[in-house]
Amino acid sequence: MTGTEGPMARVTLDGAAHSNLHAAATFGSMGTMVSFRAADEATYLLIPRLEALFAAADARFSLYRPGSELSRIAAGELALSASSPEVRGMYALAVHWRQETGGLFTPHRPDGVLDLNGVVKAHTIQATGEFLREAGTTNWCLNVGGDILADGEQAPGVPWSIGIADPHDRKKLLTRIATGPRRMAIATSGTAERGEHVWRANAVREAPLPRLVQVSVVAEDILTADVLATAILAGGPDSLDPLIERYHVEVLSVDDDGRLRGTDGFRKDAAQQL
Amino acid sequence: MRTRALFASVTASAGLLVGGWQLGAQAVPDAVAISDTTSTPSTGTTSSGNSGTTGSGSTGSGSGTTGSGSTGSGASGATGTGTTSGSSATSPAPAAQEPSGQAASGSYTGSTATERFGTVTVKVTVADGKITDVSADMTARDSRSQQINTRAAALLRTEVLSAQSADVTMISGATYTSDAYLTSLQAALDQAGL
Repeated sequence: MTGTEGPMARVTLDGAAHSNLHAAATFGSMGTMVSFRAADEATYLLIPRLEALFAAADARFSLYRPGSELSRIAAGELALSASSPEVRGMYALAVHWRQETGGLFTPHRPDGVLDLNGVVKAHTIQATGEFLREAGTTNWCLNVGGDILADGEQAPGVPWSIGIADPHDRKKLLTRIATGPRRMAIATSGTAERGEHVWRANAVREAPLPRLVQVSVVAEDILTADVLATAILAGGPDSLDPLIERYHVEVLSVDDDGRLRGTDGFRKDAAQQL
Repeated sequence: MRTRALFASVTASAGLLVGGWQLGAQAVPDAVAISDTTSTPSTGTTSSGNSGTTGSGSTGSGSGTTGSGSTGSGASGATGTGTTSGSSATSPAPAAQEPSGQAASGSYTGSTATERFGTVTVKVTVADGKITDVSADMTARDSRSQQINTRAAALLRTEVLSAQSADVTMISGATYTSDAYLTSLQAALDQAGL
């Protein structure tokens, strides 16, 4: 049931009592790992289909694959206007979010290369979710390199419980939050794992401290969560409230000195009611 | 628009009453009062206006008390009006009680009002009889208030739910590489089953 791209590491949980329903299914794609868990074991039979969805998106949009459409655009071999409807659609989606975030989220790297990775992953997660719903399955949770979309619950009456990683200690969690009707998607952007993969505008870089090193956004859909996490990380603390106010999201951010900021959904008393 | 609605509801809920704001002749003292919502007339400040002016109260959609009149010692008393919603704000804030000939200045902090979304404390800053700032501190009480109190505030680690990896199904974190995954908590979870 479990397929991986490489050898599995020996990582153990410290004395945790698990009911051991089944292990998650995992596979590699988009330079990271996909973890999938479902309440109903039969859902795991769909894993090859999920893998195919991710592989197709990766083949088209990866900048790490020389032959991909996006790599050809970056190399100047293919004009964006002559690219496939999928690429143009993804570009339109990215531009839409650039406008939504006042330019904090952008599909262009500083060197001018078109990098659609910011929306491709979330879009693929969303498409996978739609595929699963069309297949008639509910009660699953999909994690792609730390960005999570869930549906239903892990057991009757038990929501999925999502941990938020501590950017200063990767063996620890900052907190957890339960999924709910308007919070099935959780995305986290940060500078910890892949270095500075978010480009900060000059004005922002020179803004007074503190800087944010990690931003988690809980939203109804994964695109909103993912894009806003990236945008707030780039925009810094000043961008928090305007974006939170426009979208119905919960946000937890970590300053470079480890301090937390968050919306009320992350408060202990509120979180316990959900 | 949400901001405006929020502001209106907060100010109304907290029972902010601005009464007796004098716009009359010069040398007429201005005064500002903050009073509680449960009080009815004459909790406002005393002023010696000589021309009746109407204080502008906070706006709000509530149905509550209106009007805290100021008693004027002049030709005609100024009447402050305010509109508040029927929240359970209790205790009045210190009203500016200025002697004749002096404009009101200072900061006025209302006592904490408890309403159905949590607690609200309103602070009004007055300089020379003019309101220069109104701020509200809000503390959410229940999940419903998340619809309304949607700002990021500093959180102590003790204010969020603590979590061990055993408590969760999946972990959200900054994108890890395939290699980093191997030694991640997520990898441990994936193997453990839950």
